[in-house]
Amino acid sequence: MESAFDTRHHYDDELDDIRAALVELGSMVAANIRRAGVVVTEGRLNEVDAVIGADRPINARYHDLEEKVFTILALQQPVASDLRFLVAATRILYEMERSGDLAVNIVKQVRRLDGVPTDLRLDGLVLRLSDASARMFDHAVEAVATMNAAIGIGAEQEDEETDTVTGDLFTAVTERQDAIGLEACVALFYIGRFFERIADHGVNIAQHITFAVTGEFPDGDG
Amino acid sequence: MADRIGTTVDSVDHTRPETLEDASPSLAATRSPRVTGGTPSDEHAVILELSDVNAYYGDFHAVDSVSLPIREKEVTAFIGPSGCGKSTVIRSINRMNDLIPTARIEGAITYHGVDLYAPGVDPVEVRRRIGMVFQKPNPFPKSIYDNVAFGPKISKYSGDMDELVERSLTRAALWDEVKDKLSDSAYALSGGQQQRLCIARAIATSPDVLLMDEPASALDPIATLRIEELMYELKQEYTIVIVTHNMQQAARVSDRTAFFSVDVKEGQRTGRLVEFADTATIFTNPQHDETEDYITGRFG
Ligand SMILES: Nc1ncnc2c1ncn2[C@@H]1O[C@H](COP(=O)(O)OP(=O)(O)OP(=O)(O)O)[C@@H](O)[C@H]1O
Ligand SMILES: [Mg+2]
Repeated sequence: MESAFDTRHHYDDELDDIRAALVELGSMVAANIRRAGVVVTEGRLNEVDAVIGADRPINARYHDLEEKVFTILALQQPVASDLRFLVAATRILYEMERSGDLAVNIVKQVRRLDGVPTDLRLDGLVLRLSDASARMFDHAVEAVATMNAAIGIGAEQEDEETDTVTGDLFTAVTERQDAIGLEACVALFYIGRFFERIADHGVNIAQHITFAVTGEFPDGDG
Repeated sequence: MADRIGTTVDSVDHTRPETLEDASPSLAATRSPRVTGGTPSDEHAVILELSDVNAYYGDFHAVDSVSLPIREKEVTAFIGPSGCGKSTVIRSINRMNDLIPTARIEGAITYHGVDLYAPGVDPVEVRRRIGMVFQKPNPFPKSIYDNVAFGPKISKYSGDMDELVERSLTRAALWDEVKDKLSDSAYALSGGQQQRLCIARAIATSPDVLLMDEPASALDPIATLRIEELMYELKQEYTIVIVTHNMQQAARVSDRTAFFSVDVKEGQRTGRLVEFADTATIFTNPQHDETEDYITGRFG
């Protein structure tokens, strides 16, 4: 079939702008997640404020984009794949904004703890977790950039790495509770949970793209 | 009532109803739970079945091989670009095409299992049971009362005519607005009121199917919403087929949607059915690219 996409140039541009803006927002969040990872794994307490500060433009963009999507929904009355994309976009926005908040929460825990205890860091578990989490999120942003449905379909499985490392980290923290103290234990549980949540948001984002493209959520999640 | 329209063919399949008369009782036997817009239930019995319907105007092949079931007490919407044959198909359902000399239908349209084009089926009776409402309100140049009473009078209705007129106008959501001026000319009504009068007129002959060809396209938004609301009410008792160019309207009022398109070959523009599905599917996840392009407005 020849593509006769002649009638709605302006609308197509609007939708593409939304997609591009989602990728941009996602990239900002991904960068902050990586920065938070470095703060944790390298104990860079002097960068905590930078991570917190970087979340402000993320929030501003989130609100701006949400309003744009809402306006298009109201004015264009989208249907079919356009509607699926815009509904997915509102959800993706939420997932991204939450992920940004989690990066902030992570560095706040590090500051409270005055740096993560070294023996655990040496175990490499925190490093592995922050890496796996950031990679999952990057992959989700890639799904948005390329509108690739396959990433969402494989996301649940891809995320098993994060779940496994989180479990290992929790076990290790529990085993060392006497050495590192209660406060560090609690902070590390939080940090582990936050990275895991970020990866979950990544999974959801990729799955929303699968829905936008195919009309169906990948099995096992909704 | 002198409305028996038996088929006169000798060798009929006796498992099927043979006349529209025989067919009617099955209506009562197939009461099914009411469902509302967008999520139809397969429990609604098929009342009309189009099988391989081809329509011609002289040599011109206007519609190619349309097959689709229409379920009772649902609203079925026909959408598609101009010239794809929506009006032709909807008119074929109550044999309105018979009135166009060049028009010819091939294939079968069954109503309660009776082939509407079988020899011996009286098209006038078909039109009484399958009523039609047109794009432009077309009241007769008579009083409001007489517009509604016209059909029943012709079919020698023997009940209480005042009561029938009131009931029909009430069902068409017009009674309150006209009850004090029933003898006024129908032309004194607004467009939206005239259209509801035409619906009352169609209802007065107790059809069980109402065909509506762009019934709201000449109306303002409020009158349009009234008609839509009315359809919602009417489908509890009637089966409705509506042609509309307003896709939001199809999405709002119908349970199932049929999307037609036009193919151009050898200079002929022939309509065909592209996709038929429940309305929610058509508007959220159509299976054909052509449907997607049309409903998202990307055709050109
Ligand atoms: N009375 C007629 N004589 C000859 N050709 C006709 C007649 N009525 C319709 N046609 C042709 O049949 C084709 C289908 O027409 P039809 O009116 O059914 O389309 P439609 O989908 O209802 O279009 P619209 O949305 O413009 O009302 C068109 O090519 C039309 O020109
Ligand atoms: Mg028409």
